[in-house]
Amino acid sequence: MKKQYAVYLILASFVIIALAAVAGSGRNTSDLPAPPAIGTTIDDFKLPDTDGAEHSLKSLTGKNGAVLIFISVQCPVSNGYNERMEKLAEDYKARGVNVIGINSNVTEPAAAVKAHASEKHFTFTVLKDDGNKIADRLGATRTPEAYVINAGGKLVYHGRIDNSQNTANITSNDLREALDQLLAGKPISKTGGAAFGCTIKRVS
Amino acid sequence: MRLRFSIFLVGLAVVWAGAVIAAPTQPAIGAVVVPPPEIREIDLDGLKKLLLRDPKDTRPLLVNFWATWCDGCREEFPDLVKIDNDYRAKGLNFLSITLDEVADKPRAVDFLKEMKATMPVVLLNVNDPEPAIHAVDEKWDGALPATFLYDHEGKLVFKYFGKIKPADLRAAIDKEVGSKQ
Repeated sequence: MKKQYAVYLILASFVIIALAAVAGSGRNTSDLPAPPAIGTTIDDFKLPDTDGAEHSLKSLTGKNGAVLIFISVQCPVSNGYNERMEKLAEDYKARGVNVIGINSNVTEPAAAVKAHASEKHFTFTVLKDDGNKIADRLGATRTPEAYVINAGGKLVYHGRIDNSQNTANITSNDLREALDQLLAGKPISKTGGAAFGCTIKRVS
Repeated sequence: MRLRFSIFLVGLAVVWAGAVIAAPTQPAIGAVVVPPPEIREIDLDGLKKLLLRDPKDTRPLLVNFWATWCDGCREEFPDLVKIDNDYRAKGLNFLSITLDEVADKPRAVDFLKEMKATMPVVLLNVNDPEPAIHAVDEKWDGALPATFLYDHEGKLVFKYFGKIKPADLRAAIDKEVGSKQ
């Protein structure tokens, strides 16, 4: 009889360990489809903001375009860009380009995203991407990660905000340069910039 | 009675599993304390040199990029330490590369100490991360953690962006440490 209990004990332990491992694993970003190529028309989508109100991409896009930035509540790299993102939103709103934050992390519920946006004084809309559907559609893997869509709905830039987490060391303002070129009607000279960031925590 | 005992056993299993999954505890009195690895700083050229390797070194090379600020990196680290312990004697060369800021090096050392990690660890100190990211893999955009396995000829044979699945990584390593060098 004791032997039987010992077997139950071992089996129960294995089940618990397996469940814990699966819950924490998430999805490998290597398996994601490639992001849309530059020039691709981004289909309109709808997502709720942190109060649950639905917005379409089209309704949030400014007269000259939109910047989608995948952000996080907890990622220190994303948080290192909070002030820069807010300043970007203020600077370009007046020029017809609206910044839209998207939180796709399964680990960060809408209430936490709302509290974070309020605490950081974001004036731009932050959308909650439950089930990471839009992150999957755009092939977004990290926070922060930016996409620029022009007034015609085409993707014209995808990549980093700039080249350094430390503002004192920035030598390449990739996103701002892309926006300035877009607004000047020039082709965007550089896209696809890589930078270290936190993996988006996806549903399994 | 039998039911109560079964509930007790399952409860015991939960507590035991929690202890297994939780972060390592302080070493017991009298236990051998392994000193943490020193963290050497490298730049882009240093990274390229490490990836090219000494031609005489034909061991498979496992490279893991991480940072103390990265949740997934911290979560997968105990599995990587186990992999290092299990495969080092079998000929695996494991290089750990942290992307922490230089000022955060003490935090990285404390973390390695907590993990009882003994593999070589370097800190990549570059102003612009892009050339370094692309030197490793053109398809990598810098999301952490990221893990790469090279065979004895230096060819990339396995990569994983995100928190590793230990069984998959072990299977890939098994193929390499078992192959003729």
